[in-house]
Amino acid sequence: MNPDTLAMAFVGLYYETFDKSRADLGSLYRQGSMLTFEGVKKKGVEAIVAKLTSLPFQQCQHNVSTIDCQPSGAGGILVFVSGSLQLPGEQYPLKFSEMFHLLGIPQGSFYVLNDIFRLNYA
Amino acid sequence: MDKEEKMGVEDQLEMVAKAFVNHYYHLFDTNRAALAPLYHHTSMLSFEGQKIQGAEEIGQKLAQLPFEHCRHFISTIDSQPSPFGGGILVFVSGNLQLQGEEHQLKFSQMFQLIPTQHGSFFVQNDMFRLNYG
Repeated sequence: MNPDTLAMAFVGLYYETFDKSRADLGSLYRQGSMLTFEGVKKKGVEAIVAKLTSLPFQQCQHNVSTIDCQPSGAGGILVFVSGSLQLPGEQYPLKFSEMFHLLGIPQGSFYVLNDIFRLNYA
Repeated sequence: MDKEEKMGVEDQLEMVAKAFVNHYYHLFDTNRAALAPLYHHTSMLSFEGQKIQGAEEIGQKLAQLPFEHCRHFISTIDSQPSPFGGGILVFVSGNLQLQGEEHQLKFSQMFQLIPTQHGSFFVQNDMFRLNYG
């Protein structure tokens, strides 16, 4: 299957999970996963989920503008996303960029090994 | 490896990432032709959605960008170890000043750096996007 298609499908799934049931994001990470969120580093499913579920907003909506992907070597896919993040009550959406390093799992899907997120301030 | 040693290795990787980023953009801004040796024949660049492969083609693409002079101003550099052979994932955001342009362009870029035999790193993956307002 086309890695671009797989990457796009994964990105869609990731942000849908983030926006609708953030606690379920744990299923997309593994023990060795790393997240850097606005410069804060977390490792492992528990710490990552704790960080993402404790962000200071209950709801949000990610709108993806661009998705780029490349094979990382040894079967992984690097995905580079940019878009905007709408928080409830905020007049303007925040712009963000995020990169994922995805590794394949036997069921034919992916998990996130590396994840780096940054807001792009004006 | 105990926890303190592990943290030491990651801090080292972070230093390498920052040194690389500064070197890369300095070359980009002062001597763009010198960027090609940072890539290998397996390297991939996605530049504003256009995919280019190999050091030669990548070097040509960068040399042919429609501006002579530019200046990168780096706002953030994040890095994480990549599990494959000592690689480093680097995520950069900042501003790009083009000659004659009143306003700076915002950009994000990610690299995967892979160690060479000589103790340096080359760029295996490179993805660049302008972040439009």
